[in-house]
Amino acid sequence: MKSGNRADHTPAGRSFWDRLQTVDRRILYTLIFAAVIIPVLWPLHLPTPTTPESQAFFNAVDSIPAGSVVLFPFDFWPSTLAETEPMAIAGLRHCFRKNLRIVGLSNVGMGGPTIAERLLDSIGGEYKKTYGVDYVNLGYKANYSAVLLGMGTRIADIFPTDHRGTPIGDLPLMQHVPNYDSVRFVLIISDNAMVDYWVALVNARFGLPMVAGVTAVMAPKALSYIQSRQLLGLLGGMKGAAEYEQLTGLADRATRGMDAQSLVHFLIILFVLMGNTGYFVIRHRQRHLPLGGVRP
Amino acid sequence: MKTRLPVVVAFVSGALMILSFFGRGPLVDSASEVALTWQTIVGGFSLLLGAVSIVRVHWRRVATRERDRFYSLSLLVCFVVMAGSGVFFGIERGTVFERLFNTIQSPMMSTMFSLLAFFIASAAYRAFRARSVTSAILLLTALVVMLGRIPMGQLIYSQLPAWADWVMSIPSMAVQRGILIGAALGAASMSLRLILGIERTYLGRG
Repeated sequence: MKSGNRADHTPAGRSFWDRLQTVDRRILYTLIFAAVIIPVLWPLHLPTPTTPESQAFFNAVDSIPAGSVVLFPFDFWPSTLAETEPMAIAGLRHCFRKNLRIVGLSNVGMGGPTIAERLLDSIGGEYKKTYGVDYVNLGYKANYSAVLLGMGTRIADIFPTDHRGTPIGDLPLMQHVPNYDSVRFVLIISDNAMVDYWVALVNARFGLPMVAGVTAVMAPKALSYIQSRQLLGLLGGMKGAAEYEQLTGLADRATRGMDAQSLVHFLIILFVLMGNTGYFVIRHRQRHLPLGGVRP
Repeated sequence: MKTRLPVVVAFVSGALMILSFFGRGPLVDSASEVALTWQTIVGGFSLLLGAVSIVRVHWRRVATRERDRFYSLSLLVCFVVMAGSGVFFGIERGTVFERLFNTIQSPMMSTMFSLLAFFIASAAYRAFRARSVTSAILLLTALVVMLGRIPMGQLIYSQLPAWADWVMSIPSMAVQRGILIGAALGAASMSLRLILGIERTYLGRG
């Protein structure tokens, strides 16, 4: 092909439309970086409309009577903290504000119990709650299916001690919680398939009502449990966390992060549209070229 | 005996779990309680087995001076430091383990995950082309859902969130349910094969 051809792919003769399809990735990365940083420095305060699932999540937690025991699994890895931690913080604040008693645990061995300990202590401290009386952290035990089923019969068999090594018989809260019969509600925060197991093993067998906060990529799958009423509410990703923060009136990290997420999504859509525009223009021109591909 | 005993153990454990799922009673409850306690103990040992295995593999790489032995060495050092700090000084708040986790491991894992935003943006830009009718439908649907799930989408067109919700709760849900039901049926049939001793590959033979 000659360099004068608009659909030419040689570096010297690349057309505007061709360049539109092959922008250097460093430029894309810089734009993404800017889209994340700028709203953090100068918040845009974009409105976050509430979805029915988030509203249902809030209503379900809000309707639990004060003093009830809530099981709070911290089933997420440190890698997804940006999405899951705001949900966990908002959930803990909502529960503590309503004077619910929290039994924390984790089915993620690497980091789960440590994150649970940090969040329970810091948010519990905000509301002047006492460890062992208002909240406990059972920690982690291997083999989630055995843990989930076994707690239905006797929690002390699965967790003889809490995360700190205290026998759970010595914790005032756990003296009244021998198994699921004493648990009113389950509030799951998860970034993996644990939601499926909570639904299949605990909701189906023991009939415990539950809500879940999950990462955005997991939300479409978890939505099926909302329609079947196996989950009473759902928070999907940072957007779900931001909605929940606003419903509880405690706007925090997720609300601030939504501006950045919104801009990045918008930028990705622009990139996709840009690439496709270049692709279609070049394809259109190639179809209308005479045989040999050279313009007269 | 080597074959029969594991098959009998699998049958008894599996049958007990099925019984305990569909009905509760003192006998079934106490038997399943024992089985589940054993299961958590076995789970603990399998974690230990995993730890031993990873140490052996990487130790061998270091000992035989393989090309990427420094990665293995760094893994071994991190493993020893984290495990040692947890075992000898505890894992509760304020301990060395907790500080190492919160200041090194957790930020590193979050950093790795956050890099995904850059790669996804680049990959979407390069690979997401409407080359056929089906890929055009996929592209349009993705754009509607992505725009509908962010505040900016509502500012562009007020009905976009409703469209995105429709996509999520009708067509996407139909597919999700199909996958879920298929996977559940597959898991149930595989479990039955294991319980009845038809599937014996876990014994190390076909």
